[in-house]
Amino acid sequence: MIALRTVVAALALMAAALHTAQASDREAPMLAALVAEGKLPPVEERLPALPKLADFGPEQTLGDYGGTLTMLMARARDTRQMTVYSYARLVKYNRDLELVPDILERVEVLEGGREFVLHLRPGHRWSDGEPFTADDFRYWWEDVAQNRELSPAGVPTELLVDDALPEVLFPDPVTVIYRWQAPNPRFLPALAEATPLYIFMPGHYMHLFHARYTKPEELAARIKQTGSRNWAQMHNNMGRARDADNPDLPTLEPWMVTNRPPADRFVFERNPYFHRVDAQGRQLPYIDRVIFDITQSGLIAGKTAAGEVDLQGRYLRFDEVTLLKSSEKKHGYSTLLWRIAKGAHLALYPNLTVDDPVWRTLLRDVRFRRALSLAVNRYELNRVIYFGLAIEGQNTMLPGSPLYDLERRNRWSKFDLAEANRLLDEIGMTERDSRGFRLMADGRPLEIIVETAGGTEEADVLSLISDSWAQAGVKLFIKPLSLDVLRNRIFGGRTVMSIGSGLENGLATPDFVPSEIAPVDQNQYQWAKWGQFYQTKGASGEAPDTPEGMLLMDLYDAWFASGDRQERTDVWQAMLDLHADQVFSIGLVAGVYQPIAVRDGLANIPQDGIWNWSPGAHFGLYGMDRFYFTDPVRRGLAVRPGNGG
Amino acid sequence: MFGYVVQRLFVMIPTLLVISALVFIIINLPPGDFATAMLQELESQGGSGAQKATEIRALYGLDRPLIEQYFHWLGGMMVGDFGFSFEHEAPVTAVVGERMGLTLLINFISILFIYLVSFPIGVYSAVRQYSAGDYAFSFLGLVGYATPNFMLAIIMLYVLNEAFGISIGGLMDPAFRDQPMSWDKFVSIMQHSVVPVVVIGTAGTAAMIRRLRANLLDELHKQYVVTAKAKGLPPGRALRKYPLRMALNPFIADIGNLLPDVVSSSVIVSVVLGLETVGPTLLRALETQDTYLAGSFLMFLALLTVIGMLISDLALAALDPRIRLGGKAVK
Repeated sequence: MIALRTVVAALALMAAALHTAQASDREAPMLAALVAEGKLPPVEERLPALPKLADFGPEQTLGDYGGTLTMLMARARDTRQMTVYSYARLVKYNRDLELVPDILERVEVLEGGREFVLHLRPGHRWSDGEPFTADDFRYWWEDVAQNRELSPAGVPTELLVDDALPEVLFPDPVTVIYRWQAPNPRFLPALAEATPLYIFMPGHYMHLFHARYTKPEELAARIKQTGSRNWAQMHNNMGRARDADNPDLPTLEPWMVTNRPPADRFVFERNPYFHRVDAQGRQLPYIDRVIFDITQSGLIAGKTAAGEVDLQGRYLRFDEVTLLKSSEKKHGYSTLLWRIAKGAHLALYPNLTVDDPVWRTLLRDVRFRRALSLAVNRYELNRVIYFGLAIEGQNTMLPGSPLYDLERRNRWSKFDLAEANRLLDEIGMTERDSRGFRLMADGRPLEIIVETAGGTEEADVLSLISDSWAQAGVKLFIKPLSLDVLRNRIFGGRTVMSIGSGLENGLATPDFVPSEIAPVDQNQYQWAKWGQFYQTKGASGEAPDTPEGMLLMDLYDAWFASGDRQERTDVWQAMLDLHADQVFSIGLVAGVYQPIAVRDGLANIPQDGIWNWSPGAHFGLYGMDRFYFTDPVRRGLAVRPGNGG
Repeated sequence: MFGYVVQRLFVMIPTLLVISALVFIIINLPPGDFATAMLQELESQGGSGAQKATEIRALYGLDRPLIEQYFHWLGGMMVGDFGFSFEHEAPVTAVVGERMGLTLLINFISILFIYLVSFPIGVYSAVRQYSAGDYAFSFLGLVGYATPNFMLAIIMLYVLNEAFGISIGGLMDPAFRDQPMSWDKFVSIMQHSVVPVVVIGTAGTAAMIRRLRANLLDELHKQYVVTAKAKGLPPGRALRKYPLRMALNPFIADIGNLLPDVVSSSVIVSVVLGLETVGPTLLRALETQDTYLAGSFLMFLALLTVIGMLISDLALAALDPRIRLGGKAVK
């Protein structure tokens, strides 16, 4: 009898629960109470007139509201990862790596890429309920970017074409126009970056810290209160949207930070005015709160294995997969493996701008670089160090990029000692010393010192390479250095060869600036001095003086002058071809896996995603606002209760 | 006595000045500065910021000569301004905040643990020399002394997590982070401080047991003890009245040695265990060359050590009349 009564009561409760779920279907339960109290307008009034329909992937399903997602981070500064993961941008990359409007309703590109008309969503609001309008763009452009005190370095370089400023117009509250004299293909990609270029700021809030809008005495009081040195520093500290470290700063992201550093735990709560909805028109995000617990980076794998997180990718390393896998069942999570989308996980960089004249001549001989590449047994590297899971080949694009070409990845990368020896003989290094190593033109033995700022992994890889190089008569020495010292040696032309990670972006599309494959940065280890020359506008370094180097620079300039995608594609293909043929860097393996720990019942996370900074923004590409907990209990839990344990 | 204390306090000033200069120089010895460390981070995330580095240097005065930076810092410390942490973009005092309190708490409990455990064991081992108990404790002590404490920390973490489900690392359950102090939070801190205290204290305890045992054994074989026993003094009184008091001298004087040991090993242990003490922040500050934060931490710790030495000297003087009066007798 009692049992029956309990069942009836339970059924009644369930019915009641279902009923309320329907009534407040479009309102997240966390906000429903505030709406009921009249502290918050209903969801229809909070969404823009035309909300953004989130682009659900094929395996992603409609979710339900609620729950707290815990992640681990190693430093208070890591709050900026939230801006990366949540990935709300004016325009963003979708899963096909195309640029699509997100915060913007649409973008018109006119006059062959010289004019951009940005259309905002009417009725879009900041997280504090204030309207988000063209005036926020005007504030940033006129009062921040062009203010010498706030931006001592001037307007961001992405907005300069031939050193000229754009003309920026604000015809009405929902339209912003950027117009240049020549095409600016960098503009839209910069807005979609994992660390984006912000061309707007919440003017209504930032006025408080701006000398133009606030009385000097109030400003002085605020400077004192915030412990800043001057108003410019205060303004910049308060307005760092990317860092998500100021709870008072209105945002457009799905979650907003609620506490200030220094702290050991950061809580992000849903933004009631977020502009994305699912296919049923329900406002995103699904998950109420995201928590970043700060701990030591070395403990993160252990804590993940002890089931203390709901979702973790950052700070987990591939060699920790066995640990993570072993306690999956006990602690209720699963370990996914996502490919890291670098052009190469590791690559050797012959320094074409080394000071030593003999080395310089030798390293600039393409036959030498090809021979070294042919004398690397990538299959062995992959088997021995990466469990055979990596992709062998050169440092170039990966499958998934529209610019991918298998032939380029394989060129000069097949292990072929006979051909390597033939090429080295052809160069004229036929003399050998008593150990069997070849002699260089000036009689020195062919001993290549490979400098590394990495750890044991680099050392392991190099010692395997050293075995096969020895069979080609090349001696390899490993020299570990700190990154600071290594870079200074490379910049100064003292390093002969170094090892480092390959292209950061192995998934580039033709719309990306090809700056990683042209000599435009001194941090490119194969031609640091050429990069220095470009960066300092000729003040230091050396101008590219080989035909290939000059060709790369011409192609780079051609990309900037290009008006359409086809031209940009051609430029990219030509540059990648040149790289593959010239072996400017000797790629080893790519596509190493990033372990991702996912709590059981956390849905909408793809089984095999890619883990990439840009494009990708780590979880951002898959829309963290669409992740949800399938378990109702998990969703109902407001915060994990302190059990004192 | 008063003069003695005043004199000791005055000696502390030049000591601390020398320490501050050393600290500052050593932090600035590695190539590069905070701006370069920051630049590397920006680049590793795909950004670029050569111009940013110049801005940062100008903003924080890193482009000034080192000597000027030093005196700026020193001058600030005199009036309680410990400078600005570049990494946290906040005044150093705000960053240190609760962490300093927890550090002091952990170190205090560790020292208490060392004394409470080592005293009875040391006395027992000396009085019952070569007994089974003596061997057992000596064995345990030697193992404790020889095990690197970070190793011990990792083992204990694993065992406690597997056996008792205590969350790995940290000084409290994550739910209590940045919450105001409450009874529940205090209980949580106490539960979580078991591992760090045992880990930090083990080596010190082992050393202390050895020292007390050796000192007490020296005394126990002296003639006055034999005489006292022969005249029928009860064993307890024969132990407590003189030999134990004599043997206590090094026990107290060791605070001076113990403090720097405990403080420095607690930094390493905190990093391994992810404690919310100054340890991890200090290490990070040293890595990024966050000069003022690292410098101020080290100065706090130096001050602590110097004060600890003073306390140990004062306690010794209070305990042993020979030390109080000794100075005059020599004159």
